Amino acid sequence: MQEVKHADELFKDFKAQSISEFFKKNAAMLGYTGKIRSLTTIVHEGVTNALDACEEAGILPDIHVRIEEQGNEHYRVSMEDNASGIPLRFIPQVFGRMLAGSKAHRNIQSRGQQGIGVSGAVMFSQVTTGKPTTIYTSTGKGPIIKALVQLDVKKNLGEILEKEKIANKWDWRGTIISLECKNVIYNKSRYSPYNYLRMTSISNPHSRITFIEPDGTRILYERSTNLVPEPPKPIKPHPHGATPDDLITMASNTAKKNLSQFLSHEFVRVSSPKALEVCKSAGLSDKMNPKRMTWEDAESIVKALSSIKFFAPPTEGLRPIGDEEIRKGLESTLSPEFTYTITRAPQTYRGGILFVIEIGLAFGGKAGRGGVELIRYANRAPLIFDQGGCAMTDAVKSIDWKRYGIRDIEKAPLTVFINLVSTHVPYTSAGKQAVAYEEEIFNEIRNAIMDAGRALSKFLSGKRRLYEKKSKMNTLLRYVPETAQSISLLTTAEKDGISEALERIINEKYNMIVEDEEEEPEPQESEETEGEEY
Amino acid sequence: MRKKSPNRKRARKRKVRNISETDRKLVKMAQDVLRQIEKGHPPSVEIPQRGLSNVIFDDDSRILKMGDKTSKRSFLNIAHTRKFMQTMLVASYAQKLVKDDKHAGIRELYYALKHSVGSSKENTFEEQGESNIIIEDLERMLDLLREQMNLTADRRGFIYGDIEIFDSGDRFNASKLGRGGWAVPGNIEDIKLKKSNVDYVLVVETAAMSDRLIEEKFPKDNNCLLVACQGQAPRGIRRLLSRLHLEMDLPVVVFTDGDPYGWYIYSTIKQGSINLAYLSNTLSVPKAKFVGMTMDDIETYDLKGVTEKLKDLDKKRIEEELKYPWFQNRKWQKQLQKCKKMGVRIEQQALANKSLEFVAKEYLPEKIENKNFLP
Repeated sequence: MQEVKHADELFKDFKAQSISEFFKKNAAMLGYTGKIRSLTTIVHEGVTNALDACEEAGILPDIHVRIEEQGNEHYRVSMEDNASGIPLRFIPQVFGRMLAGSKAHRNIQSRGQQGIGVSGAVMFSQVTTGKPTTIYTSTGKGPIIKALVQLDVKKNLGEILEKEKIANKWDWRGTIISLECKNVIYNKSRYSPYNYLRMTSISNPHSRITFIEPDGTRILYERSTNLVPEPPKPIKPHPHGATPDDLITMASNTAKKNLSQFLSHEFVRVSSPKALEVCKSAGLSDKMNPKRMTWEDAESIVKALSSIKFFAPPTEGLRPIGDEEIRKGLESTLSPEFTYTITRAPQTYRGGILFVIEIGLAFGGKAGRGGVELIRYANRAPLIFDQGGCAMTDAVKSIDWKRYGIRDIEKAPLTVFINLVSTHVPYTSAGKQAVAYEEEIFNEIRNAIMDAGRALSKFLSGKRRLYEKKSKMNTLLRYVPETAQSISLLTTAEKDGISEALERIINEKYNMIVEDEEEEPEPQESEETEGEEY
Repeated sequence: MRKKSPNRKRARKRKVRNISETDRKLVKMAQDVLRQIEKGHPPSVEIPQRGLSNVIFDDDSRILKMGDKTSKRSFLNIAHTRKFMQTMLVASYAQKLVKDDKHAGIRELYYALKHSVGSSKENTFEEQGESNIIIEDLERMLDLLREQMNLTADRRGFIYGDIEIFDSGDRFNASKLGRGGWAVPGNIEDIKLKKSNVDYVLVVETAAMSDRLIEEKFPKDNNCLLVACQGQAPRGIRRLLSRLHLEMDLPVVVFTDGDPYGWYIYSTIKQGSINLAYLSNTLSVPKAKFVGMTMDDIETYDLKGVTEKLKDLDKKRIEEELKYPWFQNRKWQKQLQKCKKMGVRIEQQALANKSLEFVAKEYLPEKIENKNFLP
């Protein structure tokens, strides 16, 4: 008979699992499922970091990505950017720690929202090859620092195994990440780094991306605008989005000594009178020290906040790509016949979280991949995987495309580009590959697509008319030689002369902008059959 | 000895005139089109409409005539272009045939003219039905028989009887060719009807009945020319009947099965057909008479036991035939209604029930002698 163990015994072996360790076992959540996908995710993290860093520094990004084959399913990935470089003391944190990152606690729109990104790549490299990641970085005015970085999973810390200072003869500024990884495959499929970089270039027209493939091919995605997008400004949260946990955290960090000042300072759109109103509604003294806030107090405050009306949040914190920029990106990459782009007005979801939807629709040319192609972006970072589980995909599928002239969406040369810009993108998982359903976001995407659809439908009907006109003209011209020949035989007139005259008559008809003639087929009567006549 | 009909002389002259008339008509059509093209106008031709809505039954002459509804076939109208091209194509080929004095079957024309249009995968004609229709269009448009354009349909049917014919250098008597008689060619425009020693023409629907009559020596004993049409009378036979009637003044009597299909055969011999309404005057014998089988015959000759049930198609036909203008007389209406009521049909070969000889020795001679006909 088995002993009944006492709780103490059981808990002797209980080890607190660090988050890093947790993610090690759950690499899938971070995007490391599948051999192609893992490689793409590594590139994604590096490029995302580079773009964010450049933007913060106000620099036009110059990003180089190189993938070299080292053996079977064994590659070295190197990524270089021209951002401001990383000071030495921050290197372990940037590359070796999950949930760290300078962006996590600022309410700004950023690509690498949760700060896990590039550390995951370091971890993947370590786990598959046992080797550390090599970092070269310089702020421009000092030496180049070369560091070998490794992740200590149990301590959730990055470790520098070796470091070296190299003279910066070139005044080089930026960061290079170079790591090896195994169990990955490179190709040009949908989920490949190749496609990822192609899509990134569409949504970041201000960036120049150079990509060197394993076979040595060099691909350059040149920038199509010199406009550096302004970095998003940190903004304060809106009262309608606060949770009790947020309040407690904010309260413990605040410098304000009384509740009403705390509220009006920490939140946007909360004026002093409103702050007093909130305190009253929550049943708390407005002079209370915020640091004394209890959980129940926080709950009362949240309830009070949600019941009071506040102005909509300001939009400065958000940086959409811009419809002109999206248009440039789509046109230069896809050369479509028709493009429509729009950046819609800001909306909120879940009571107060700001978001903006941008749509681009490209038809014809190189648009589509045999059928409709959906390119999803969130905060200007592409969502490559998990298309089926994304609310954006659902929104696109929910459209009745026939209304807009697309008879079969599975065969149409159509690319739909959607960018969701928000201070808080509701991803479905830590993998950041799909957007969760939020009613306001879903409806806004639908509305934007319908706008685009209406424009497309106008284009298509015009195009169809033109196409029909052209094909009618071609049909007629096709019959000219035969007809001219017969008439020539019967009348002994010159065949060429007749052909030319007929062609002239046809051209005259079809180059005039006239109403389409009534084209009635000849009346067909059903007759009595006499029996077969041969 | 029958008097030589003045029509015979006319028939000979008609042939010569026909060649140049055909050529003239075809060329004129093309020249009209050319003139339009030279003026920069989209070329078109007017074609009389085919079908029931453009056919009228002329009460005086008692034949079907073509109405004067036309439709415009325009090169620039996408729905017509192909047919326009085909019309010119067939016309030019027909003119060539006539000039070269050659004849072609309508299936040969289809093959001769079938080729790809330019470099596309499309052909001038995809199937023979297309070219057949164009031939008919030209006939209507130019008031020409296809035979005048040297185009022939397949032949069917034969004749047996004491009549002299001259055809392509051969001179023969149709009662001296053995029991098979003379197979009627698709195009009989060029044959010469030389001499006839018969009193009338008997058109018989089935070959079997024809053979029966020949074996019983009916044509000889009754001084008639037997024409076996073998179902729906083809063009060669109908032209022949028309010529026999007009050139040799021979009355035409028709003998078919006693069913709606047989009566329809009779009506096309007599009135022409809807499709070829424009040719009624040259392809029909309005004065033809019908000797049998009729519904009355069933009673008169006690044939109740050898009738067969009507098929659904037959029943449908009766309804249509009741409305035909040329059946709008008391006698025919009576027979049609009787057939409908009795729900049966009586084949001509059912007369064998009496005896093999019955039809030749009693039924036909009696009825014809007594002019027991339906109009």
